Amino acid sequence: MTTSNRPLAAAAGAPVLVIENLTKQYGSFTALNDLNLTLNAGQILGLIGPNGAGKTTTIKILVGLIRPTSGKASIAGVDCVSDASKIKRMVGYMPDTFGSYDNMRVREYLDFFGAAFGIAPRIRAKRIEEVMEMTGTAYMKDRFVESLSHGMQQRVGLARTMLHDPKVLILDEPVNGLDPQARIEMRDLLIQLADRGKTLLVTSHILPELARICDRIAIMTHGKLRAYGTVEEIGRQVSQQRTIESTLVSAEQVPAAANLIRQAIEPGADVVEVPAEATVRFRTAKSEAELCQVLTRLIQGQIQVTQFREVQTDLEEAFMSFARPQEAIAAKPVVTGGTTHA
Amino acid sequence: MLNAMAQREMTTMLRRRRMMALQCGLVIFFAILVAVRWPTDARVALTGTRSQQVFQLFGYGLLATVLLLLPVFPATSIVREKKQGTLELLLNTTMGSWRIFFGKLLAVMALAGIILAMSLPAASACYAMGGLSLYGDLWRMYQLLLLVALLFSVLGLLVSSYSNSIDSAVRVTYGLVLCLSILSLGPHYFFQGTKGTLADLGEILRGVSPFAAMMSLTGAGDVGSQGIISKSNLLGRFTVSSLIISAIAGLWTISRLNHKIFDASRPAGTISDDQALGVRFFRRLFFLVDPQRRSGGISSLVNPVMVKEFRCRRFGRLHWLLRLVAICAVLSLGLTYATTAGTLDWGVETIGGIMVVMQVALVVLITPSLSAGLISSERESRGWQLLQTTPMSMARIVWGKLLSVILPLMLILCATLPGYVVMVYIEPGMTGQVWKVVICLGITAVFAMLLSAAVGSLFSRTAAATAAAYGVLLSICAVPLLFWLGRDAPFGHGTVEKALSINPIAAALSVIRMPGFRNYSLIPANWWFLGGTSVACLLVLLTQTYRISRPR
Repeated sequence: MTTSNRPLAAAAGAPVLVIENLTKQYGSFTALNDLNLTLNAGQILGLIGPNGAGKTTTIKILVGLIRPTSGKASIAGVDCVSDASKIKRMVGYMPDTFGSYDNMRVREYLDFFGAAFGIAPRIRAKRIEEVMEMTGTAYMKDRFVESLSHGMQQRVGLARTMLHDPKVLILDEPVNGLDPQARIEMRDLLIQLADRGKTLLVTSHILPELARICDRIAIMTHGKLRAYGTVEEIGRQVSQQRTIESTLVSAEQVPAAANLIRQAIEPGADVVEVPAEATVRFRTAKSEAELCQVLTRLIQGQIQVTQFREVQTDLEEAFMSFARPQEAIAAKPVVTGGTTHA
Repeated sequence: MLNAMAQREMTTMLRRRRMMALQCGLVIFFAILVAVRWPTDARVALTGTRSQQVFQLFGYGLLATVLLLLPVFPATSIVREKKQGTLELLLNTTMGSWRIFFGKLLAVMALAGIILAMSLPAASACYAMGGLSLYGDLWRMYQLLLLVALLFSVLGLLVSSYSNSIDSAVRVTYGLVLCLSILSLGPHYFFQGTKGTLADLGEILRGVSPFAAMMSLTGAGDVGSQGIISKSNLLGRFTVSSLIISAIAGLWTISRLNHKIFDASRPAGTISDDQALGVRFFRRLFFLVDPQRRSGGISSLVNPVMVKEFRCRRFGRLHWLLRLVAICAVLSLGLTYATTAGTLDWGVETIGGIMVVMQVALVVLITPSLSAGLISSERESRGWQLLQTTPMSMARIVWGKLLSVILPLMLILCATLPGYVVMVYIEPGMTGQVWKVVICLGITAVFAMLLSAAVGSLFSRTAAATAAAYGVLLSICAVPLLFWLGRDAPFGHGTVEKALSINPIAAALSVIRMPGFRNYSLIPANWWFLGGTSVACLLVLLTQTYRISRPR
């Protein structure tokens, strides 16, 4: 399992972000259903979920753009709904869209948002230099914002978010559209910010990125929180159902092996045949001793096994294991006996 | 392939709900146009005068509909594809620029056909009244309207191929509509009956105006004819000029539809602060305020939204404002010269009339482009969401945005004032009138600004906001003038005065005692209307801004 690069961050300060029983309904549609989350100072929370999971709704409630139907959200003890003006000074929000203005240079763009946050001109000029240096945008200060590439705009967006030195940074898809090098730089920058005591809430579809930098992961589907904890904790939840991979000498034996495995494990469990790799993959909650019996059965059945091993669960797999059942419920599929052919 | 292109364009245009509402509205509008002048007497006038009156009003109404509604579709057509990235896909097919152009043109012309087809029942009613010739009147009117549709569709497509944003395409296209339809009549209006280059120029220019052709067709005579009867074949001249312009603009647009349309590098963001001293000196000399110098930080004394608005407007930078003010001042001085040199021939009132028309036209042309997109451009660029996350209050944001319109308008109006000073110097008795005119202009500017901002705030797309703002403002300025054009018949003095009392141009012209307007008393009714509407628009703007900025 890929783990966070920040092992000490788990021992960070007092709770900064507290979400209690947060619900948002649009008519009969529930966008957010009884969400509970806590995040300590200096930690990075990765919010994962498929499209329409309620991530952006959660973020918008936190920055005061949407009112919840019920429940409470607070940042450093300040209520996100009733004290929206205080929240604006405490939170730096970077939406998934850039918010470009025509004919404005990068420096002017940052200057405008600095002025909008009421930063005095002299301090503002210094602050702009700092955030540009931090985000690597200093070389593009005279470029027009609308002419920047997507990756450059993401960096300028992050610089804008940090201008008023907020305690909490809420970043919606910050690494989206970045090239590999820029992604690594962005990842390092987010870690640096957390090390300086900033609390970060980050959403991303690039799950390995989140696994590397986040102290806490929250997996959401259909407006509900499905899993919450460190990457390891979530991995353990998923690991109750382990993925086992058995590689054979010959691809011809794959169907026979799959049949034997199906008889040995829980009825209806996922068994995937991959003839191209001469492999059979299956998910099971069997213990080590029981798995040993499965292997014995294969050998007794004249199946020539070269490898029989557990596949490590990463964040992507964890996400899919939480997201898939929900999608299945939503799509109401026809059950075909638990066998899938790849 | 041509069919596929036209079909796609038509489907995109017609599947919107707004289009359905628009079509229903048009049918009702045409029906009202006819019903207003439909005879209520039990007796039938055999002279056909009544049906001619109905036909005139109907013709102007149809022309105004085509001019106000249609240009927005071609104007947004190419630039929208460019912005969405689908033009690249189209150019990458085997379709070719001719097919793309004619597909788009065919779709717009089909839409024009639908609009005109919806007017056929009303036209039949006019014809049924008698006194109208099927070929001589109705057919030729529809022929004229189709030519108008063709001319502005092709011009719209040309503008669209050059524009980089949808709202600028709409703005420029409606500017062209205004110039070709109304402003082209100006020189003839002022120089008719005289001889010389200016009179000849006026005669040529009015040949491109569809209004002049329509007036000639409906037998209304010349625009503001002061007892001078013209025998020019304006319909024929418009036919020739519109076809020539359409052909040139069409070929021009086709030549633009290839890879070159994307063949431009991103601006490097050159800054003159880093250049040599000599270069900087010459740039300073040329621009007065160098547009490529590094700008200073926003002072804490000014509204940051105002500064942002100036900076992100193409013509909002200081060097452009200085140029605009300089042009206005030069024009004003030119008119001052005309005032002193031509007083005996024209009279101070006529010169004052020219100034008023030019100033109001400037205000009407510039104001919607500045204020219609104040809110919608933020919503479109997602900047509104970012502004909401700053501690600035909604009132401060709106005030900053309005200030960014008020200041250039004030500068423009102030730059045109020297002419009035000279006028008062020549004719001291006109001091009161001039003051009233200046008040009229001020109120007109405020009215145009708030109306455009309020109308624009109802839309989330800048192009739609700009088009709607131009449509409403031009309707208020142009529709009452249609009543004025029919001041001898079919409308009486009272009806025309009531219609003109909502028109800012007519009010200013009546104050300056311009020939043709001096018999109408429009002040203070006009001030009350403009003032009341401005307050209502401000309330709409604030309510709409509050609505979109409060957490939902």
